Amino acid sequence: MAKSIPSTPWTKPAQRQVAGKPVARPVRSVEVQAYFPEMMKGMAITMRHFFKNTKELVLGQKPDPVLEGMEEGITTISYPEEKRPYPERFRGLHRLTLRDDGSPRCVACLCCSTACPAQCISIKPAEYAEGDPRRGYERFPETFVIDELRCIFCGYCVEACPCDAIRMDTGMHPVPYDSRDQFIYEKDLLLHFTGREGERKTENPRHEPGDPTHPGLSRDHESH
Amino acid sequence: MSAAELVVVIVKIAILLGFFLTMAAVGIWADRRQSAMVQDRVGPNRAVFHLPSMVVRGIVLLPPTLFAALAVLPAVAPLLPPWLFPAYHDLRPASAFEILTDSLQIAVLVGWVSLALLAGTVRRSGAMNAFEALFVDVDPRTIFYAGVALHAVGFAVTSSLSVDAVVPAARAASALLAVILCVAGIYTASRVPDGPIPVRLAGLVHSVADVIKLLMKEDFIPKNADRLLHGLAPMIALFPAFVTMAVLPFGSRLCVQGDPRQALTFNDLAHPAYQMGRDGICHGHGVGLQIADLNVGILYIFAMSGTGVVGAALAGWASDNKFSLLGGLRAASQMVSYEVAMGLSLVGLFLVYGGVRLSAMVEWQGENTWGIFVQPFAFFLFLTALVAETKRTPFDQPEGESEIVAGYFLEYSGMKFGMFFMGEYIELFLSSALLVTLFFGGYQLPFLHPDGVLVAFGETTLFAYKMNHVAVVLIGMVAFFGKTMLMAFVQIFFRWTLPRFRYDQVMKLGWTKLLPFSLANIMVTGVLVLAAHDAGPGVSAILKVAADATQALVALSALAALVALIVGLLEPIERKKFLASTTARFAAAAGGTKATPQQA
Repeated sequence: MAKSIPSTPWTKPAQRQVAGKPVARPVRSVEVQAYFPEMMKGMAITMRHFFKNTKELVLGQKPDPVLEGMEEGITTISYPEEKRPYPERFRGLHRLTLRDDGSPRCVACLCCSTACPAQCISIKPAEYAEGDPRRGYERFPETFVIDELRCIFCGYCVEACPCDAIRMDTGMHPVPYDSRDQFIYEKDLLLHFTGREGERKTENPRHEPGDPTHPGLSRDHESH
Repeated sequence: MSAAELVVVIVKIAILLGFFLTMAAVGIWADRRQSAMVQDRVGPNRAVFHLPSMVVRGIVLLPPTLFAALAVLPAVAPLLPPWLFPAYHDLRPASAFEILTDSLQIAVLVGWVSLALLAGTVRRSGAMNAFEALFVDVDPRTIFYAGVALHAVGFAVTSSLSVDAVVPAARAASALLAVILCVAGIYTASRVPDGPIPVRLAGLVHSVADVIKLLMKEDFIPKNADRLLHGLAPMIALFPAFVTMAVLPFGSRLCVQGDPRQALTFNDLAHPAYQMGRDGICHGHGVGLQIADLNVGILYIFAMSGTGVVGAALAGWASDNKFSLLGGLRAASQMVSYEVAMGLSLVGLFLVYGGVRLSAMVEWQGENTWGIFVQPFAFFLFLTALVAETKRTPFDQPEGESEIVAGYFLEYSGMKFGMFFMGEYIELFLSSALLVTLFFGGYQLPFLHPDGVLVAFGETTLFAYKMNHVAVVLIGMVAFFGKTMLMAFVQIFFRWTLPRFRYDQVMKLGWTKLLPFSLANIMVTGVLVLAAHDAGPGVSAILKVAADATQALVALSALAALVALIVGLLEPIERKKFLASTTARFAAAAGGTKATPQQA
């Protein structure tokens, strides 16, 4: 029995075909080797693209990069003249929603800042003034600061909020600023942002203390 | 040399320099634009300046109004005092016929072009008033076909008018042209939207911004570089690009009055010949539209363009960089190799034309047929050698971005780099001009003779139209520059289509393919030229008809290309919208992704 040569990646085993899939080699037919016919074909392709795209660019007919993105033609979106809208569930810049009376819905429970993995939310809660019907039931944020530079846009703050007071449905992304302090978004700015449709409130009902629908404890309760 | 001759030479230099320098800038722009268009990108067009809409309206309104004012002169001249425009006041039938034909044809042209543009705009962005609503369902191509039919009808009508009717018809036609121009201008101006209009000129402004950037960039010189040669090399590289244009004939001889034995005066220049004979013999001064009509013509170009390699090699050597040195060496070896094939591939052409004087070559092509039809094989050999000589893709070994970064100009920045860049593009346009001069009839156009348009096959005349001498010369100049731009455009297409050759392939192609083939071409051409020379008059008559047939072929293909281009431009586009994602729905609600009409 003939001693078989040990097979290594660098030696071909004797009397055996190399196993594996046959690799397709480029066809070197006469017209490919002659170069000119293939060159002309290539020129035809580039010219077709050139004339079509130039015509559409000059006449302002280029396909809409989002709506007609499946069509042939220029695919560039010339930011910032053209902007691709973000999808519906895109988590953009935060906004603080409003109550019917225009005050923030936030009750300064600190759920969002607790949930935030990046620790970018800072709230300083404050009590309502004496005599205010909300006093004793909820607080309000004296300051509400989000460091958008630290934010990782995970959306946990929105999940954590029990009052639907913070949302990320503005459809905007943070703007590149010159300095870091410009990324610190204060309460007024966050209240100023609107949703995609320009809304500043939410659909979810808000039950104020004193309303019959208010689920919480009443002021008459003894052990308050 | 008289003062007038000196001025003529300066004007000729200014025309050529102006053309080639402008075209170098436009070529850089066209190259980058083409790269973008070929790859379905928008390309460099970020540079922008804004014009107030009133200024834009003025720019839109000014040229039509000026042309209308010129056009209306024959119509209003009878109402004005006779000494104001005497030629228009008492129109002679001959000039009235010219005015009638020109005004009517231009009026039809302006009419259908503006209507087609309007129809296209209405299709794209909707009708703004009742008049525009008429065009909502009109295919712009129909307007084009109607316009062409109107051109033909107008020409037939003007040709068949009686002598008495010509003068009032000319006045009416010029009034019509003026009205159409005014209406088109005013309507276009009224369509200009309010607010500042962004002007990008399809990215041309970006090229200007790039030049400003290059001028302000630091001029970096490597520490151990040869400072003198490093600074000298770009100038040496630019030198051949500037001097070779001296022998290019860019127009036919302009014939002015005067005694050819005496010096040219300014008074002679002011009186060009009105019309030439069929033979084009000038009885006054002939002002050749060529800076220097050297009898060694093409040899001068070879000699001068050969010095271009010195700049590249010096740049590579002086930069103190291994990649630069490699690039310089590659440039030297490549240019030496292809210089041989380039010269030899043209010898067959010299045999046919019977000389190396460029102006004589162009005249031969006007009388017989274009060089590409007598030496098609030599054309491809010469084109290959020429592309290799200008160091452009697929022969851009010397810069070989993927191998040696940027080759010989790797260590150059700022305007020194800009000089290499500009030199390359001037050379591109010069080589195109050379190709046009040698193979595409220079300033000649098919059927355009010194006395006007004459369509004739052998002895049969189909169509004849006499033209003004100055108009013929001007059309010739425009034809030369236009053909040059077209050839440069084709060469730019090579760059965006063909991958780079390997270095050994370049050498092999030059020495083992181009050189033997060009030698064989000389042999075959020599035999054929001798055979045609010794053959009887029957063969030369057949050759004459064949030459006229090639002219007809060129004219017809140019016409077909023009029609295809216009029809393609006017073709409306129907596209399907895909609203599958919320992104697309948001975009659709906003009226498309375009926030502003992005007119490039």
